[in-house]
Parts: sequence; structure tokens; C-alpha cells
Amino acid sequence: MRQAVAIGAVGAAAPSLRLAAADVAAAWGTRGKGQVAVCAPDEDVLTLSWLAIVRALANAGLSVDQVDGLWWGTTRPPFAEGPSLAMLGTALRLCGDVGGALLSGSSHAGMEALVAAWTAVAAGSARTAVVVAADALVPGLGTSAESRIGAGAVAFVLTAAPGPAVLVSMTQRSRPVLDRYRGDGEDSTRDVYDARLFREDVFLPMLTDVATATGEADRWSLPDPDGRLGAALARRLGADASASASAYAETGDAGAAAPLLGLRAALRAPGRAAVVGYGGGRATGIAVEVGDVVAGCADDLGAGTAVGYAEALRARGVLVASGEPVPMGVPPAGGMFVRGGVEMLALQGGRCVECGTLNVPPSVHPACIGCGGGKFEVCDLARTGTIHTFSVNHSMPAPFVAPLPLVIVDLDDGARVQFQGLSEDVPSLAVDDRVELVLRRYAVERGAPVYGYKVRRIT
Amino acid sequence: MSWNRVAVVGAGLIKFGELFEQGFEQMAAGAFEAALASVDKGMPRSAIDFAVVATQRSSLWGQESVSGNTIPSVLGLNGIACTRVENACPTGSDAFRIGAMAVASGVYDCVLVIGAEKMRDKSSDEGLLARAASGHPVYQRGESAPALFAPFATRHMHEFGTTREMLASVAVKNHHNGALDPYAHFQKEVTTADVLSGPPVCHPLHLLDCCPQTDGAAAMLLVSAERAREFTDKPVYVAGFAMASDHPWMHEKSSYVGFKATTVAAERAYRMAGLAPADIDMAEVHDCFTITEILDIEDLGFVDKGKGGIASIEGETAIGGRIPINTSGGLLAKGHPIGATGVAQLTECWWQLRGEAEDRQVDIRHGNALQHNVGGRGSGVAVVNVLTTNSG
Repeated sequence: MRQAVAIGAVGAAAPSLRLAAADVAAAWGTRGKGQVAVCAPDEDVLTLSWLAIVRALANAGLSVDQVDGLWWGTTRPPFAEGPSLAMLGTALRLCGDVGGALLSGSSHAGMEALVAAWTAVAAGSARTAVVVAADALVPGLGTSAESRIGAGAVAFVLTAAPGPAVLVSMTQRSRPVLDRYRGDGEDSTRDVYDARLFREDVFLPMLTDVATATGEADRWSLPDPDGRLGAALARRLGADASASASAYAETGDAGAAAPLLGLRAALRAPGRAAVVGYGGGRATGIAVEVGDVVAGCADDLGAGTAVGYAEALRARGVLVASGEPVPMGVPPAGGMFVRGGVEMLALQGGRCVECGTLNVPPSVHPACIGCGGGKFEVCDLARTGTIHTFSVNHSMPAPFVAPLPLVIVDLDDGARVQFQGLSEDVPSLAVDDRVELVLRRYAVERGAPVYGYKVRRIT
Repeated sequence: MSWNRVAVVGAGLIKFGELFEQGFEQMAAGAFEAALASVDKGMPRSAIDFAVVATQRSSLWGQESVSGNTIPSVLGLNGIACTRVENACPTGSDAFRIGAMAVASGVYDCVLVIGAEKMRDKSSDEGLLARAASGHPVYQRGESAPALFAPFATRHMHEFGTTREMLASVAVKNHHNGALDPYAHFQKEVTTADVLSGPPVCHPLHLLDCCPQTDGAAAMLLVSAERAREFTDKPVYVAGFAMASDHPWMHEKSSYVGFKATTVAAERAYRMAGLAPADIDMAEVHDCFTITEILDIEDLGFVDKGKGGIASIEGETAIGGRIPINTSGGLLAKGHPIGATGVAQLTECWWQLRGEAEDRQVDIRHGNALQHNVGGRGSGVAVVNVLTTNSG
């Protein structure tokens, strides 16, 4: 590669819920330790990715218009087929001609995304690239993976060197073997067929080979799909894998994000850091020379809210009430989304050129609510504000989940908009509270996720 | 000087409730017969030449395409002119307003205003609550009916110190009145403790802060003022009416402690009637939720802004109070079959002005009664009608 490439900053996100492995084990009469992170019903890989990228860009001190490529690695994008990457880019307010790619198909997708972005910056086809890896896999009920598979996202900002950390070497291997996989049309990920077969004949030999080729390092991010293999590999290599061990302890196995969440932790001190990622029969090792601590590598991801097994299953969409959910009034493939999709995802208002009033959403306001004027400048709205008033809805049919706050917010740019709030904020919600907006999944309608912003209290 | 070009010579309704045994047609026919029977000197069906039909949620009984021709046939009036009106919660009161204008125009001699609504043919989940999934997929998602009013309660509490006990006093009073009204859906008293301890529906509103889902129908007969005495010796005149609109999105309100549409409509109606709030003897106002009545009595000028909760808990709005409100039991106890609601409220005003409200009768000192509805997306539609016994 011609151009040396640096990691400028990193950002990460964990979902809202935490499930103790002991709760899973209790349901199946087994034993379990540790915890996994679980998406709330309104979170998914896209909302987690969005948050990780917003944080990474803030840590880098960059605005989105400086980004010219977005590489997204996730085993299961929100659409099996559909506009996943376009929606993420729009929600980030990236311009329409931004480059990049969506890489998926296995939990190796995060490493593939990092390699692709690295290659693009090295080749000079992108100056500032964002790599994001995220997963929120749905493990098969009753499998050992159930108390291990978590969720999370991590984003890296790559630029031409110099920078605080520089990517220095890469090794890749492939073997056509089945580990954890999901067949076409299946809902959940199957566990490995035989744990000892996988350990002795696939995992340890293949990853030892990749790690050895990657070279010596002070701190390692090593894969740990079952809670023991990571330590076994570290022993065999004589490696310090405490960085990835702490990441796994926090979120569980975050799939495509897992190796890079471990790498994030390994960037906390100067020296040589290395990451090995594995999935779908592919393994990649990358070494990074850390000069300065990378901004964002020690950001707190939050403790989350503890939930029981049944609530976690409901949040993952595995436990579903019988009967027909009430359909959304507007079909997600219909004209309203063609006219109003961008303004909804990018959070736009129409500022009246006559009186300055912000009209939200712009597509339904040909006349200004302030003065009746008809000329507007479409602009990005502020993502912080103050609660003017609110309610908490307790009585709605499925698929709604109560309690649901509905919050009328005065954004800091003067716009007044109603958004949903987060159920976890219900007990303490009050007029005049300061809030920020986070991207969440408002609905899944006819198989399509519908995204918009929700209000979160700033504590 | 009131407008007084139109007189109401007949009015009636059916008992409101969960009328699973009656269809839209039977309910409408029942209300029509009651209105006809109320005409003191009688009225032949053939006198009626135009009907205004008020119905708002025909989707609640799977008849999205209800239109003007749905009603004349079932009332034995086949062939007359008929127009359907849909205008959110003020549908019935707007139909009355339009009926009065039709008579005043001189085009029609005798106009039937009839409201009917089947609220309970679909389950609540598939019916009224499904509204949570309609509208804008983000900015209105989750907005079932209580969510259109609860934010006003939150803000009114914040600005004026209004309490849940003050809200509850509205429910206690209206259920007391409902217990006196043979047409009410609920004819049973409730206590403050009942209201406060009810399950939350949409914070800060609990179950008894909310009106029920009720089937019902109501009808009125309108003729020109000059012809009123052909039908009755106790005519009630239309003193004035008005309607106003406001921006439809919940986040577009200039204030969350009152409804601008109500304030504007009230100003216009008072001006047309040549009356002031102090001239009104009683009022039927839109109490879909307890907070709504508190906002209404402020917006209609019966109490100062911010004082609605205190006035309610101190009994100013009770039968026998300074300004009796919702003597019929209101939407909270009598029920809210949307298209019928405004027409039924006007019927209560008609009875009160004629001294026919029995146990609910209030002192009629000035001879004026007011009826009000507010509703729609963002409570952006309000209608105020004023009736009077004063002929000039």
C-alpha cells in the first residue's frame, strides 16, 4: 500500500439492556456467568452504528462533510436486501456521493470493513474514511451461544498518516468450514456443531497461524466466542489479551464489532497493538503502532439497564405476542417516505426566509406556520434541546410497548418538535429537562425498519 | 343583538352506551324519531328538505365510505338533499353550524341535523387505539387520543400548579351530573379517590380522566326564526356560532395551556351573538379528558387563564354553581360518540333553556347557553354555538 494510514479517533456504543448469563442458564437448567448487552426494541445495528460514528467523529473533531467514505461491517444488516447503507449515510448527514461499502455475511465483516477502508485511504481514493462494525445477533434458543452473544458497535476514523496510531501490517487466512452460521431464511444463528472439533481443528490452529504472522505486540484483541477460547489462544501465544477480555466482559460477543471493540481497548497506551478477527472461515490479523493514546478509546459505554431473560427475548423479537399488530398508516415503501425519508433520517427543518420560523417536517409545510410565507431553506436541526411538555402513553395496541413518552422539545436552534422518548427515562422525566436526540428504530413495518430520532435525558 | 335567524324546534337523542344490538342506521332512526316527537306542535316528515349528517369515524365500523346518501333512506326521507360532515371532534357541532347556515340562506325550509357514531363495533385495539399507528410515522407515532391532551395537562400543572385532584374534581362533578341524566352512558357517581387510583392511560391522565368509548346518536330540527311558532311556543334561537382552526401538528402549538382554536372561535361566536361570557347561564363544553374542560372554561372566558383547576375543585362549575358546565354528564359520563356529541350537547342546552332538564335543571337568568367542541390533530378545530330564548 502506498500511503501509510492512521487511526485518528474511535467511538463505540453499547445497547441499552444487559442480560446476565445466569438468567439464561436458569431458564435451561444450566450454568452461566458474565453478562451480554442486548438491544432494546428500538435499537439495532443501524442505530448502534450511528451512535458509534457520531461519537468517533466528535472524538476526532471532524464534521461529517469531511468524511468521504463509509465502510460498514455487520453480520446482519437491518435489511437482508435493501437500503441499509443509504439509510445509515443519510442519518449521518453524509452527502449523497460518499463512497464506501456494506460488508456482511459473517462476524468477520468488521475486519473486512477495516481492511477495505484502509485500502481505500492507502490508495488515495478516500482521504477521511469511517469504518464502523456492529452486530446484534440473535442466538438460537437453548444454545450455548445464548449466554455469550451480545451486541455493540465501534467506529474508527481513518486518515492518511501521521496520526496517533498507524496501521502497520495485515495477514489474512481462509478455510471453508462451518462455525456459527445462519442458513438462508433462518432467524437465529446456529451454535458450533462440536465445541472440541471447532477448538482443536479450526480455531486454535488457524488463529495461532494468523497471530504469529501478524507479529509481536504489547496488547492483543483476540476472539473469544465461548468465554474460554480467547484465554486459551492467549496462553498459546503468550499474549496479553486483557483488552479484548474486558470488552467481551462488557458487551458479550458483539460479532463483527467484537475484535474492533477489543482493539479500541488496546489503543489506550503507546506501543504495538494487534487484533485478530475471525468468522465465517475467515481470519484477519492487523498490527497497529500506537504513538499517542487514541481519542475515544477509553470512553465509557454506560452500565445499561438489567433485564430478565423474557424481556431480553421480547426485545430481540424472539418472544412475540399472538394476534395481529396494528399496521402503520403509511407504507414504508410508499410515496410519503420518498417525499419525506431524507428529512426524517437526517432530521431537517424548513427555515422560513421571511420570519426564521423552523417548520418540521419541511415536506408537509408549503406555508410557514409563523407567517404564512412560502420560501424556506432546508437545514439540519439541532440535536439537543429542552423539554417544553410531555405525556407518557400507557395504552396502545401491539406493536407499541408501554410506557411510551411523547415529548415536545424546544431544540436549541429554536425548532419545536414532538419525538418519542425512551422508556428508561419515564420515572424522572420533567418539564425543562435538557435532552439530546438519538437515532432509534420507531417501527418494523412490512419487514422494513423505520428510523427516527428519540429524546434522551441528559443526566 | 343576537343573530337569531334560525330556531331549533325539535331535539332528541337515544340513550348512549355500548349499543352492540343497534347498528348505525337504528341509532340514527331512534334519534330522529326522538327529535320529531319533541316538536311541540308536531312536524310532518315531508317538511324536512335537507339533512346534514355528522359522522366522523366510520372506519370504526368498517364503513370508510359513509356519505350523504346513507341516512335519508333509513329515516324514511328518501330523495331529500343530504350532506355528510366530518370535522374531527367538532363534527356534530359543525354540522349544526352548517345546518343553521343552510336555513338562514333561505335555500332550505327545514333542516335535520343528525349525528351518529358507532364507536364499539371494532375492538378498542383495532379501533380507536389503532390511531397510535396512523399519521406521520415518526413525529406522530404513538399519538393516540389521550396523547393529544395529556401534554397540556403536564404544562398546565407546570405553569399554574394545577393538581391531579383538580383534574379529578371535573370527573367527579360530571359523573355526578351523569347520574342525573337518563341518556348518559355512565349513571354512577365516582369519588376523587376512584379517579386518582385508576390505572394510568396517558400520564398525567388516568382512566377516569378519560371519556369512554360510546355509541350514540342525536338529532335536531332547524327552521327559520319566522316559522318557529308554527312548531312551538317555546322556540330556542341560534344566537351565534363560529369555528376556528389552528396548526395541526402537536409541536406547532403556540401554547400548551389553552387551545387557540377555542379562544378564536369563542371571540367570534360571542361577537356574532352580541353576548359576553357573563351572559351565559350554562355550557356544554368538550371534556374528552378532565384537563380539556379546565382549558375550555378558561378559553371560553368563564374563568381567568390558569384558574380552571381551582374553579372546578371549588364547585363553580357544578349545577347550582356560578357557571354550570356539562350538566348532561359531559363526554366523561354521558359519552363521546363523536358525530353525535355536539348535537347531543346542543340538545342538553335546548332542554335547559326550555326548562326541561328535570333533575339537572339550572337557573336560566339570561336565557343563553353555549356549546363547544375542540379536537382534531393538534386540537386544531374548534366550534362554538350559542343558543338563546331571547327573540331579539
